[in-house]
Amino acid sequence: MKTLRDIALLYRRSFVQTFRVPVWLAISFSTPLLYLALFTPLLKSLPGGSEFPPGVNVLEIFLPGILALMAFMSGASAGFSTIFELQAGYTERIRVTPASRLALLIGPILSSLTWTFFFMTMIVVVAEPFGFPIHIAGLLIAYVLLALLMVLFASFSIAVALLTKEINSFAAVVNGINLPLLLLAGILLPLELGPAWMRVIGHFNPLYYVVEADRLLAAGHLWNTTIVEGFLVMVPLTALAVVWATRVYRRAVS
Amino acid sequence: MNTNGQPVLEAHDLTKTFHTRKEKIEAVRGIDMEIWPGEIFGFLGPNGAGKTTTLRMLSTLLPIESGRAMVSGFDVYKSPHQVRQRIGYVSQLGGSDRLATGREDLLLQGELYGMGRREAEQRADELIEVLDLAEFASRRVQSYSGGQRRRLDIALGIMHRPDVLFLDEPTTGLDPQNRANLWVQISKLREAGTTIFLTTHYLEEADALSNRLAIMDHGQLVAEGTSRQLKQQIAADSVVVSLQEDGAGSEGAMRLLQEQDFVREVSAEPDHLRLYVDDGVTALPRILRLLDRNGMAIKTVTLSEPTLDDVFLRYTGRSLRDAGHPLD
Ligand SMILES: Nc1ncnc2c1ncn2[C@@H]1O[C@H](COP(=O)(O)OP(=O)(O)O)[C@@H](O)[C@H]1O
Ligand SMILES: [Mg+2]
Repeated sequence: MKTLRDIALLYRRSFVQTFRVPVWLAISFSTPLLYLALFTPLLKSLPGGSEFPPGVNVLEIFLPGILALMAFMSGASAGFSTIFELQAGYTERIRVTPASRLALLIGPILSSLTWTFFFMTMIVVVAEPFGFPIHIAGLLIAYVLLALLMVLFASFSIAVALLTKEINSFAAVVNGINLPLLLLAGILLPLELGPAWMRVIGHFNPLYYVVEADRLLAAGHLWNTTIVEGFLVMVPLTALAVVWATRVYRRAVS
Repeated sequence: MNTNGQPVLEAHDLTKTFHTRKEKIEAVRGIDMEIWPGEIFGFLGPNGAGKTTTLRMLSTLLPIESGRAMVSGFDVYKSPHQVRQRIGYVSQLGGSDRLATGREDLLLQGELYGMGRREAEQRADELIEVLDLAEFASRRVQSYSGGQRRRLDIALGIMHRPDVLFLDEPTTGLDPQNRANLWVQISKLREAGTTIFLTTHYLEEADALSNRLAIMDHGQLVAEGTSRQLKQQIAADSVVVSLQEDGAGSEGAMRLLQEQDFVREVSAEPDHLRLYVDDGVTALPRILRLLDRNGMAIKTVTLSEPTLDDVFLRYTGRSLRDAGHPLD
């Protein structure tokens, strides 16, 4: 099928080009490592450490959050390349070809997703000797959920880039949305540690559902309502974002 | 290729208005045009005339607001997919992929147009030869000079052998040497039978490259024809005379020349007089004799045939040389 072939072609382009920006690779890997190395010790000596269930390694709470953060950030920053490609004329060139509009969007996203999976796995492997228990089945399902998260925010980010067309407005919109979403998702620490009103607001944040489900999955739970909720929220939202961003590619980017 | 005497491209009453918060910009106001197989058709106009907007509508990038455009028999609005398969478009910005090598970029382009890998490789090698890219095709585009990048952009535009190639300001930003080089490349494409629609704000470029051209100003085509036809419509040569003494002397000369019936018009410019005459060759000796007899010493005199700038001046009341900014 034409669309699949176009996706593969554009996937390959992005994937290969990632190797050509070694700085990007280094930073993508070192950022989550830094979080692990410099944030976990703080958690351990938290005075309210008693809030954590006894016998639970802090990493079990914290690492799934880092994984979600990686998927989220990789998605949200997808639009930066789009801005550069727009300004280099590449986007127009590619829009004049008969390539499938869905492929224009999803090819590069799937390439970033592959890299994100790779770094997530590295982080898990690094954390294991420090006491993070690996539950393979749970992690695999968590990857699927995090993939949805990544594709959702990448589509959103790319659509915003195509509509704003320049770096300042794009960065303003994306950062303006990222920060509240991140803070109200309990991504670094569970919202359960916060006051009730935070939890209430959190329920309007799709990221919250992902993080909650992701923690359970990483702990080896495979089936419960929180996990189902996570998917029920993410599947339609992601589909919607992909459809919207594809439409933006199809319509005027004038 | 279209061979049955049909135009490759037809547009009727094309318009486009941009709505910004503050104002309404009528970028294109009713354009009619046809492009025939094998020709280079040029749009000449200052910056802001609406050239890019027209091109973007014809190439499916911008929805057509009203009017109709057909490419190789397909309606641009109704069948964008078929149209894309048949056109090549090189934007003002280029469009090559900075992190790819030239060759990789050509292969991607070919494959996106549905070529198999082998076919794309053959075609890429062919174009590397034709457009003289061999020296740098295996380097990353990032490292190319402006002229090299432009040549790659054009190769990308014709990778799939389009029925018509759109070139938006192909030499803007290039130094004179690279510009001349690109003109040679574009002329070679024409000789190979490629149909090209190009826009430019350089008179010399329109003159040198196009078989037929249209002058565009404020969203409208104000004149159309071959460069020769357009110049003949002006039907006047110009003679520029500068006298030994200016001021009073040149005023006297101006009055004297205006009285002659073979002189259509005289205008005083900073340090010379410009005369429009029907036929420069017969007028010149008469002017010389007349001034000499009246004791007005001539410093220099030049005779020139009308240029496209004269044509532009005639239809818009402005000179193209100062109508827009030379470079954006
Ligand atoms: N996306 C846009 N939004 C608003 N105005 C635009 C847009 N694109 C072009 N214009 C305006 O339309 C007019 C024609 O522009 P353009 O087609 O780029 O001219 P040219 O290519 O001849 O220099 C200009 O006044 C320009 O400012
Ligand atoms: Mg332009």
